[in-house]
Amino acid sequence: MSPTPVSPARSNRGSHCGRIAVIATHAFTQLVRMKVFYFLAVFAVIVIGSNFFDLPQHVGPESAGINVLNSIKNWSIGMMSLFSVVFAIVATALLLPKDVEDRTLYTILAKPVPRIDYLAGKLLGVLLLVFVSLALMDVLMTVVLQIRTSMILSGQMEMAHSRGWPAAEIASLRADILSQGPNASLQGAVWAVFLRASIMASLALLISTFSTSTLFTSITSFLVYFIGYFQADARDVFLESGTAGTGWLARTVSLVVSLVLPDFHLFNVIDAVIQGQAMPLIRLGELTGIGLFYAVFYVLASWFIFAEKEF
Amino acid sequence: MKRWRRPLIVFLAALLAGAVRMPFEAALTGKLRAEGLLPGHLPIGTLDKIGQTGALVALGGLRTLVATFFNLRAYTFFTECRWDDVADTFDVIVELAPQTIYYWETGAAHQAYNASSYYLNDSDLPPLRRDAAWRAAVLKGRAFLERGIRNNPGNPKLNAYLGYLLTDGKKNRAFRDADATYLAAAEAYKIAADSREALPFFRRFQLYALARVAGREAEALALARQLYQASSNRTPTLQCVYFALEVHANPAPIDPEGFALSIFGSPKQAYVTLSNYWVRGGERLPVHGVARALKALETKLAIPADKSVFVQHPIREGEDE
Repeated sequence: MSPTPVSPARSNRGSHCGRIAVIATHAFTQLVRMKVFYFLAVFAVIVIGSNFFDLPQHVGPESAGINVLNSIKNWSIGMMSLFSVVFAIVATALLLPKDVEDRTLYTILAKPVPRIDYLAGKLLGVLLLVFVSLALMDVLMTVVLQIRTSMILSGQMEMAHSRGWPAAEIASLRADILSQGPNASLQGAVWAVFLRASIMASLALLISTFSTSTLFTSITSFLVYFIGYFQADARDVFLESGTAGTGWLARTVSLVVSLVLPDFHLFNVIDAVIQGQAMPLIRLGELTGIGLFYAVFYVLASWFIFAEKEF
Repeated sequence: MKRWRRPLIVFLAALLAGAVRMPFEAALTGKLRAEGLLPGHLPIGTLDKIGQTGALVALGGLRTLVATFFNLRAYTFFTECRWDDVADTFDVIVELAPQTIYYWETGAAHQAYNASSYYLNDSDLPPLRRDAAWRAAVLKGRAFLERGIRNNPGNPKLNAYLGYLLTDGKKNRAFRDADATYLAAAEAYKIAADSREALPFFRRFQLYALARVAGREAEALALARQLYQASSNRTPTLQCVYFALEVHANPAPIDPEGFALSIFGSPKQAYVTLSNYWVRGGERLPVHGVARALKALETKLAIPADKSVFVQHPIREGEDE
């Protein structure tokens, strides 16, 4: 029985994936060796510490503990956001210059490795590390939150029963507490944190293809990150400028900002989830779609510039 | 020139891609805002108050984290009785985390209860100023709560809390117009009771507030009759309010004593429940026919004159019909 012939196109596709996987694994290992996971120890201390930190209680006993649950979520998601964005930017900004400095880039590009494979592999390596780190942080946050929620729930139920609360009120109190505990929406928020980091990493990759220094790439990326939170305002200015009588210069600037920069205001849904709002799966899907759109566009743009770059 | 050709093409492509995604992003923003998943813009005043670093963190997508820090700061101000600082801090907190109901409740409680009581007992102030400061703090608490409701329309906890504040006998004299206040309380309880997460007592509390509004007795009676149908609603207060409203609607045909027995079951139970209700005279609950029924029951149960409920809580003018 003769082996099934493999079409050249299929073979090529397979090798693309293989090459990307090899480069991604290498980038992941390279970053792990930079002792990035040490951050997880800091995260663990903060999350576990926030669990033992008894926040002052302003109102009645029926609210006891709810602000602590809020606080654990705030600290955890806050740390995840900070870590993911800073890491995504700095690690991506470092990758190309480091490969140039180590001369690894010349070795790779001297081989039949398409530049898109190289860029995609490097980016995937960074994203893999961000994903693994966020997953570990998420597990820790969920465990701590679950333990604290159970503690608060049992304390509050005891209080309600000892005071002879009616069943409906006890059920409402239980629902209130559980809504602040770990749930699917909170996992959605962590996914949104990852999406935002992915956009920033791919944007930093684009900037690093024409930038001459790591510092420039990092600073520009952080600026874009903060301006991205105003992108929605710029879009509103442009869309509503017809009725507001805005001048042409303001209209043009707002249009350019809203077209070129990513909209990070959308990721403020994370804040709403921390406050106990439920995020429908469909919205998370739409957010993922937008995140993928940015990531793919920035990678293709990076490749377009990088393809012609001479070393 | 050639060096910048590709970046320029990328820039143009970014403009094109932006034009493609803009309608999707605008639509998604609209949907998320409508679902309460996206907060509004931070006012300039708030950004000033949280300082440059705080603003940077808040603008970087960590608003609720900044709110947590400010909550700690508010607690310090509370322990030092710096009420204006407490109010300012909670203004910032709710701008940062407008959907956290706990912050709205706490901010309102600090003003309407803690600050107002502090001013009322502030021996450094002359009596008139104490009262004015007390009233201003209660009004501030109410305004804060109403702001919370505007930010979280239909929220049962905030509406129930507003109803509670407006019907609180120790606070509601701050609102001057009693009828308007009780009507607002009834409205707040109605919104709370209509919500999906309503607790059973919200509807009863709506009735108690409505029953205290002059001229709305018929509406209150209709609600009382509806609630009375369910045995789980037959709490002592509801039974008494229902009794008083029925007597008010039908003063002549109803024999208060007989009607009381039909509601409360036995003369002793009727006497105990109605006398407990009667002593709550300061709460402005309707008392039509209550005194007459109590007098008849005292005769029936042979209550000695010195043990009569009217010894300590006599009938005031216009209290019984």
